[in-house]
Amino acid sequence: MIEFVQVSKKYPNGQIALDDINLKIEDGEFVFIVGHSGAGKSSLLRLITREITPSSGRILVNNEDILKMTSKKIPLLRRKIGTVFQDFKLLLNRTVFENVAVPLEVVSASEAQVTKEVAEALDKVGLGDKANSFPAQLSGGEVQRTAIARAIISKPQVLLADEPTADLDPETAHGVVKLLEKINDEDKTTVIMATHNETIVNHFKKRVVVLKKGKIERDEKEGKYEG
Amino acid sequence: MKVKKTLRVLRRSPYQALAATLAMSLTFFIASIFVVLIVGGQVVLNYIEQRPQVIAFFKDQTTESQINETITNVKATNLTKDVKYITKEEALAIYRERNKDEPLLLESVTADFLPSSIDVSVKRAQDINQISQMLKENQSVERVITPENLVEQLVKWTKTVRAGGILFVSTLLSISFLIIIMVVGMRIAIRRDEISIMSLVGATKWYIAKPFFLEGALYGFIGASVATFLIYVILLFYSPNIQNFLGPIQIFPISPQFFVYLWIGEVAIASAVGIAGSAIALYRYLRIK
Repeated sequence: MIEFVQVSKKYPNGQIALDDINLKIEDGEFVFIVGHSGAGKSSLLRLITREITPSSGRILVNNEDILKMTSKKIPLLRRKIGTVFQDFKLLLNRTVFENVAVPLEVVSASEAQVTKEVAEALDKVGLGDKANSFPAQLSGGEVQRTAIARAIISKPQVLLADEPTADLDPETAHGVVKLLEKINDEDKTTVIMATHNETIVNHFKKRVVVLKKGKIERDEKEGKYEG
Repeated sequence: MKVKKTLRVLRRSPYQALAATLAMSLTFFIASIFVVLIVGGQVVLNYIEQRPQVIAFFKDQTTESQINETITNVKATNLTKDVKYITKEEALAIYRERNKDEPLLLESVTADFLPSSIDVSVKRAQDINQISQMLKENQSVERVITPENLVEQLVKWTKTVRAGGILFVSTLLSISFLIIIMVVGMRIAIRRDEISIMSLVGATKWYIAKPFFLEGALYGFIGASVATFLIYVILLFYSPNIQNFLGPIQIFPISPQFFVYLWIGEVAIASAVGIAGSAIALYRYLRIK
């Protein structure tokens, strides 16, 4: 469970990204965080991984206040959370296999474990035959699927997706969200996806949290969004 | 795994690695030269200190008791290692032994021709002057021979080499240190994306920093090893010439143990410098959130 309690985030330049947010996301939920650019969607996701810290308020992950965590415990928190980025953040000089293996590499997993789990993750995202390709040799959808495979390889409890469909054509974007839905259904992984793509949001009929100027405007089950 | 990764990183930008390694090699090569000069200088000093450094010849009419009194007085200074009395007869024996191949020089030389003397070895070379002065002031002593100037010069020379070496090597060490900070800093900049991704997927700071520490240590290890090998080869090659120059002062063959200690010492210092350089670069350039 993830809980935001009266969370505000003000950047040093004075910009208010989030303003007194109260939000609770249960285990296994699929939530769209929607809103225009600058509404605070990315800040909200980055707070969950403690990439940034709030100006005030508390953030609980599995009932643990992540702001009270020592810097040593942050890597452990991040291992429970998979992240998919809008700009993919893949290493261009590494193959698909090597990119997907990074989260296992950092926990010093054995070679056998890496081989087995990377193969499973690639099969899950439908890239079983692209293991030896480099990111430059893939289509946009395949690149994003690679990023998803990397995000789910360590079987996280939570999957954060920050505008994962922003640079994709509608059909590919639909496929990527379908894949996230499959991960949510099959693995019971909590999925929190930030987007401003109303077609996608309205099609999948999930919980929708609408952010406007850093505040929660609406929070609806099977909500709609009109950008 | 980490070593493999470090070597892979080094292969990707070999010129930076080469620059850092060469700087370390040069620094420790120069350091090795100074170590050899200082140790060699000490061996020469030890040799001279072990020889009788002050020889005092007594006047013909000096009695045994006067000689014994002089010996007692010299010993009482507590500055001497050994005081050896050479009687006229022993002096003749030494003379005969030295000139045994030249019978002309032996003819008509008797013990009466040669003065009795004392050979004094001091504990520290710098005390020669004091002993020499004391013997010169002794009424029974005819003449005093000392290699005081040579020893003084050697002591001064060794001190200068030591001070100069420390200054010069410290400067080179600082340059190597800065080069390592620069090279490791550049590598961190090149790998910024990778570091950021690793941090986001749960890598610990130590996991991220370890290859950079290993890299710094590796520059030190390779640099110091190359330097020790070079100094070994050079000393091996020039040992006949150096030995000729030093004459009776036996320095060669240098014990392999000396090179092992030199290598261990230099590798330890160089690796520490490499690791410290990496640590500064990591602190300066790696801001993991």
